[in-house]
Amino acid sequence: MGFQGLSFSAKGIRSRRRQEKAANAATLVILIILGALVLLPVWWMFRSSLMTNKELYAYPPDFFPDRWLFSNYRETMKYFPFFRYFANTMTIILPSVIGGTITATMGGYAFARLRFRGKNLLFSLCVGSMLVPTVVTLVPLYIMWTRGLRVVDSYLPLIFPHFCGGGAFNIFLIRQFIKTIPRELDEAATIDGAGPLCILVSIIIPAIKSAMIVVALLLFIMLWNDLMQQMVYINSLEKYTIALGLQQFKGSLGTDWSKLMAATCMSFVPGIVFYLIGQRYFVEGIVMTGMKN
Amino acid sequence: MKAESRAAWICLAPSIVGLVFITYLPLASMFVLGFFKWGKGAPDPVFIDLENYIRLFTADPFFKDSIKVTIYFSFLAVTGSMIYSLFIAMLLNRRVPARGFFRAVFYLPYVLPAMAVFLGWAWLYEANFGLFNYILTGLGIEKIRFIADSRYVVLSLALIAVWLSGNLIVIFLAGLQNVPKVYHDAAEIDGANGWQRFRHVTVPCMSPIIFYNLMMALITNMQVVIPALALTNGGPGNSSTFMTYLMYRYAFISNQLGYACGIAFVFFALISVFTIILFATSKSWIFYEGDSH
Repeated sequence: MGFQGLSFSAKGIRSRRRQEKAANAATLVILIILGALVLLPVWWMFRSSLMTNKELYAYPPDFFPDRWLFSNYRETMKYFPFFRYFANTMTIILPSVIGGTITATMGGYAFARLRFRGKNLLFSLCVGSMLVPTVVTLVPLYIMWTRGLRVVDSYLPLIFPHFCGGGAFNIFLIRQFIKTIPRELDEAATIDGAGPLCILVSIIIPAIKSAMIVVALLLFIMLWNDLMQQMVYINSLEKYTIALGLQQFKGSLGTDWSKLMAATCMSFVPGIVFYLIGQRYFVEGIVMTGMKN
Repeated sequence: MKAESRAAWICLAPSIVGLVFITYLPLASMFVLGFFKWGKGAPDPVFIDLENYIRLFTADPFFKDSIKVTIYFSFLAVTGSMIYSLFIAMLLNRRVPARGFFRAVFYLPYVLPAMAVFLGWAWLYEANFGLFNYILTGLGIEKIRFIADSRYVVLSLALIAVWLSGNLIVIFLAGLQNVPKVYHDAAEIDGANGWQRFRHVTVPCMSPIIFYNLMMALITNMQVVIPALALTNGGPGNSSTFMTYLMYRYAFISNQLGYACGIAFVFFALISVFTIILFATSKSWIFYEGDSH
């Protein structure tokens, strides 16, 4: 009886393993198909950027270009000064990311560690501000910048807000991180005569470097995708960012799709490079933001 | 103690400036400005009581549709991206080769700049030579004008939103990795099939993450504006005139700042109502581990 049971369960395990193997193989097949579907649009844009317009309008369409016309890109650059747009975009993004990361860290530190009057009220106001969508405050902010402060056609309204705490969510994220660092470390430093700001710089910041990278990455993505504010605040052509340049290019070129797709694919590059470099932190970061519950 | 609170105020100074000048003061001004006529025909603000709101709800030809379109789009985009990303995350959670690669594939759309993405998809949606119509005709289905057809434009834009939801996948994946395997094993021994295990083990264990993602997806998609700015200009007709886009148009194209603030307020109220409903119902379906449930 015992013997029989044993052999039966061994057989059961073996058949279960086989089942699992089959399921994994099926999963792999589905993943390959879905992955190909997800990449198909990107491939289609890329292949279109390497074709002549005549080839583009051929029917049935080809999945691969006849000749890979990389010269399209050189042509496109004449009308779409990618490098200038890229430099302009970075002029907004880099200071914003740096300012946002630093001020969010400072705010997160104060909320996590320091005692002061009005802390709870301030923290509630900070968390509450997460529920205010940016579009809701856009018009008053526009009035403040352009009519009140008379700042027109400038990057300042796009950069300055990021030097003001870097967003409630990021402050919250940093705070959660600092809370995981043992307090004994600060206390030891205090006994050695270090002040709170000294502790922040010498103990806390080195310990939460990875969280700061995460905040920087989140800010980068957010700014990378912000079109509306750029449209609102920037007017002159030489100050255009990649997004604004693309829109202008689309308007002026009409249906020259192969050049439009070349411009589109060029704009993809910085994000992809950035993703490949920061992939590890990126995923970690998204994971951590997802785990805040 | 004194040094501590001084340090706290130094650390929080940027955040306080941000909370006051970037969030709450503009929020209050938005509310107040909704009672004023300002901009076109009124170089200085004129108090007009509820006139903006009366015009919005009784005389505006676009407003009611914009609410409908916004809700319709968010519903499609939120349900679509939640189902898609949970499904992909569950596939990626299995032991398949090249998981890192697949994760990168599904995440990729998220790091591409929004403007370029929508431009690229415009070409895929092109009526005569686009990829999708090629596929449709291959399947024996009649061609669709996608974003140029008022019946399909919102659906087509929602599909792009689903394609872009790589960040949800990563968060789901992180959550799935924390679901204890013993629960699944126990359910399997009790004879639960795949669907039952999903329904009674995965979903309850994942409920906080599902709630978080639902919240994120809702707030992001309610604020939809880029596709209208980049692609459709709210058309054809008013079929993609989202509330945020309508606000943008009134504020920055036809220069009716007070009126635009009225829209912003209704939008804010609407998004708050949805958030509150979500929060209120969440208590009944969110399961936290360690709860006496």
